[in-house]
Order: sequence, then structure tokens, then C-alpha cells
Amino acid sequence: MIAAAATSIKAPYIDWAAFSPIVALICGAVIVLLIGLLPGRRVREQIVPGATVLTLLATLGLTIWQWGENTSIISGALAVDRLSLVLNVVFVATGLVTVVMSLRERATVQAGQGEYYTLLLASLAGMAVLVAAQNLVTLFVGIELLSIPLYVLCASELQREKSLEAGLKYLVIGSVGSATLLFGLSFIYGATGSTDFSGIAAALSSKGETIASNPLMLTGLGMAVVGLGFKAAIAPFHQWTPDVYEGAPSPITSFMSVATKAAAFGIFLRFMDVAVIDEALTWQPLLAALAAITIVVGNVGALAQTSVKRILAWSSVAQGGYLLVGIVVSSAAGLEATLYYLVVYVVMNLAAFSVVVARERETTHGDSLSAFAGLGSKRPILAVPMTIAMLSLAGIPATAGFIGKLNLIGASVDGDYAWLGVLIAIGSAISLAYYLRIVAVMWMPDRRGDSPETDRPHGQPEIIGLAIICSAATIFFGIIPSPIYDLVRGAGESIGLL
Amino acid sequence: MLSTYLPALVFVALGAVVGGSFAVLNQVLGPAKSKLVATGDPYECGLPSEVKQGFRFGISFYLIAMLFILFDIEVVFLYPIAVELRAFGTFALLETIVFVVLLMVAFIYVWRRGALEWK
Repeated sequence: MIAAAATSIKAPYIDWAAFSPIVALICGAVIVLLIGLLPGRRVREQIVPGATVLTLLATLGLTIWQWGENTSIISGALAVDRLSLVLNVVFVATGLVTVVMSLRERATVQAGQGEYYTLLLASLAGMAVLVAAQNLVTLFVGIELLSIPLYVLCASELQREKSLEAGLKYLVIGSVGSATLLFGLSFIYGATGSTDFSGIAAALSSKGETIASNPLMLTGLGMAVVGLGFKAAIAPFHQWTPDVYEGAPSPITSFMSVATKAAAFGIFLRFMDVAVIDEALTWQPLLAALAAITIVVGNVGALAQTSVKRILAWSSVAQGGYLLVGIVVSSAAGLEATLYYLVVYVVMNLAAFSVVVARERETTHGDSLSAFAGLGSKRPILAVPMTIAMLSLAGIPATAGFIGKLNLIGASVDGDYAWLGVLIAIGSAISLAYYLRIVAVMWMPDRRGDSPETDRPHGQPEIIGLAIICSAATIFFGIIPSPIYDLVRGAGESIGLL
Repeated sequence: MLSTYLPALVFVALGAVVGGSFAVLNQVLGPAKSKLVATGDPYECGLPSEVKQGFRFGISFYLIAMLFILFDIEVVFLYPIAVELRAFGTFALLETIVFVVLLMVAFIYVWRRGALEWK
């Protein structure tokens, strides 16, 4: 009888072409791990990063090949559409930048090059799965595949206590977030009888009851939002962010602050705007409150910090609040504004982190503000990119950050959440206090005269190059924003938003 | 009414008699108790079964246990597929091969990194 039942099981049709970017990442991770086992210094220091870069380029090529595709693959588990493809490009670009930043990183030696780059690729594969997920199970698999390698990567500088602490903290808090999320997802499944996003939406609209009148669904949605909030570092679930960002090796911090954030917001967008979109009126106030709290907490928290990595951590919390505004309004304009800002945020944050990484290796001051004292006169080649990044993060006109914020404010006004737009403006005004503090430290003549010498002035052409490219892109997209508009246009329609 | 409980009562009585007699007979007929400490323990190898706070054990135990879970899971997945392979068809076979290959990569990794050597 069991055998009779089993004969009805059919293999799902797999569209290998559309699935190929994720397959490429996973195969690359496996190959890099095996290459890392080969003996020899050259293998470790050149072939392993080289293979990682090749994997990322192959993924990029396959993503571009699938550009314009809009399908569901593997029995509706994954969606290949504009949203996931744009974010794939963001992940691959971040991955490439992280590989370049990691080339001289101590963590890669201590953890082993093969392991380090494999974990990086595995985490990227998790991100690609996550942003394409349109099924609760795929969502959870993606989020775990993203997180578990990151826990290890945070602790990859094995001989520095702070790095281990960061890894452990992230593991404990990340697990709490995952557990909350999973608990919430099981409630949603219990309330709707479907793990599929479109199935959940259909169940909600056919029952004719609102989320608010269904305690099971309400609890589930609340817990899912909390769980995703942990991953996206949305206040009040952000407390781990400063400690983990400060303790992790800087290339990993930079990777987490942009790629993880992009992935978390990618799934946030898809879940809210596909699965529970009909109930937007119920959850909009909830997310609006979270966005408001996040903007205020992030910006105020950054004010008193003296470590640049901590400032950037708090700033990333605040930026998360801005990004959330585009989800609150639940419109195509809102989704595209969030996606636009994500792309811009990646570019400007990577510029800032390249300078932090360069400075950390040049001085003995680590990532403290004093490492940047007098940088303007001594190393303008680093000071100028950092200044551009700070101004762009603050949203000064003629930088990409300004256009991004303009879009978000525009979307919030159109979506009847004008007060959130006002809050973005107020938040940006507060943020000037800490972004400009970094700029001031770099350019103001140092009265105390304790600005650090460039103790280890070995050339780091690749990091300086990154800083220049990213900051140039920040200015370029601030003046000519249309390439990014073209990139994100249609993302809202592709998942069925008006 | 009470008679419906009779089988249960008989069962309990039999259990008490058989169990009790084994315990008593073992005491009377069995060899004198060994003074060796190990035989008093539930397991005669591995970690002591009673540990105090602050007890430290080798990380190798942990490592091996973790690797064991990995390959344990492999078997858990392979059994049902092996039983129903005909019904599931080629797709399941290919999926299983992918799964086993990935686990083999993991195995090669732990082997080459020396995680299987007892330190």
C-alpha cells in the first residue's frame, strides 16, 4: 500500500537555466574547499582566492544570462525575477569586494584560506536562496545557510579574543532570531495551511477574515517579523550589531553590513509584499513603528561612539530604518525605492569599509577614530573616499545616498506615510553629527599632535583601488542615477505589486 | 467490572515475581561482587558517568560526536530511499547521489584536516 502511494510521487521539474546561479555558487564552494586541502603556499594564497573570484564571475555571468526571466522554479520554491536577480548582482559584487579585502587578512591565514572562502561562498549561496524564496521552508533553509557560515566567519580570527566573542554572540543571538522566526513560520502554516507565499495570500483572502481577527496568524506574523528583524538588525532587535561588527574581522564586518542586510531586506520585501500583501493595513503600523524606532535608536546610538566600526554599525542600524520605510508603504514605488537604496548603500558602505580596512593595517590604532586623525594631509588618497562615503551616507546632494533617500521619502509620501519621510530627514540631520565627526577628524589640523604615524606603510594598492572605485561610483550615481533606476525598474511589477 | 482488571493484575504480579526472583537468585547464586570500579559504571569505557562541575574532557570527544551526527543523518536519509527507490525513480537516485557526493566532500575534508585522528 505504501508502494502504491509512492508511485504517485513525481520528480519536480527543475529549470536548470534559472537555477544555475545558485548551483554555480554551491559547486564553487565545494571546489574551493577541496582546493584548499592541497599543499603549498601558492595554492592557499593565490589559487583559492582565484577560484573564489572565478566562481563569483561565473555566478554573475549566469545571473546576467537569466536577466529578464520571471519564473517560479522547483515546484514554486524559488522565484527568479527582477528582485532576486538584482540582489544576486549585489551579492556577487559584495563577494568580489570581500575577496579583495581579505587578500592580506590575518583571519584567512588563521582559519585557513580554503575554509574562509568556502564559508563566504556558502553564505552567498544562502543569500541567493533566501531572496528567491517564496516558500516558508525555502525561506528558513536560506536564512540558515546564510547565517551558519557567518557565525564561523565572525570568529575566524582565531587568536583574537574579540573575534571569538563576536562569533559566539552572533551565534547565540542569531539562533534566538532563527528560533523565533521558525516558531512564527509554523504558526503561519498552521493558520493558513500553506507554506507557499501565494498559497498563504490565497488562504488569507478566501477565508474573508483579517489577520487581526485570527490570533494564530497574528502571532505567527509577529514572530516572523521579530525573527527577520534580528537578521536585518532592526531596533529593538539590533543590540548584537555594534559588538559583532566591532569584533569580527573587518572584511567580514563589511560583508555582513551590506550583503546580509540586502538579503534580509530582500526576503522582508518578498514576504510582506507577496504573502501578506492583502493585509497590509494590519501590519503597516507595526512596521512603521519599527522603522521609526530604528531610525531614532540607530542615529542616537552612533553619537557617542569612538570606534569607527561601531559608528558604522550603528549607522547601518539607522540605514536599516530608512530601508524599512519602503516596505511599510507596500507599493511598487516603495519596493523599488528600498531596492535602489540597498544598491546605493552597498556601494557607499563598501567605500567606507575599504578605508577602515586600509587604516587598520597601516596603524596600530585599529579602527578607533584616532587612526583617522590628520588623514587628510597625510593620505588624501584614503581621506577623500572616506569623506565621500560619509557625505553620501548622510545624504548630502550630488552623492548617491541623496537620491536614494529622496526616493524613499517620495515613496513614503505617496504611501500616506509622510511622517516617516519627515523622520528620515530628521534622522539624516542627526546622523550628520557623527558622519561629519569622522570627516572633521580627518581634515581638521590636529592640535594635540598625537595623530598616528603610518606605522606599516606597506602598499595596499588593491584596497586603495577599491576605496577609489566605490567612492567614484557613489559620486557617479549621485549625478547620473539612471543606471540604477534601470536596474531596479520593474522589480515591483515582477512580484505583482501595483 | 473488577474482573476486567484481572489480566493487568496478573501481569503486575508476574512482573514482580520474575523480576524479584532474578534479583534474589543473582545475589544468592552469582559470583562474589568484583571490587573493580569500572564494573559499577553503566559504561566501562569513555567518560565517567558522574562528573563534578568544572570537569574537563578532551575536545576530541566533541569533535567525533559531531562528525558522527553528520554520517548518522546520512544513513537516516539513505534507508527510506533505498527501500522505496523503485517507486521514486531516477530523480531520487540522482538526488541521493548528489547528497552522498556532498557528504563525501565533507568526509575528505575532515579526513585531510586530521579531525579523525585521536589527540
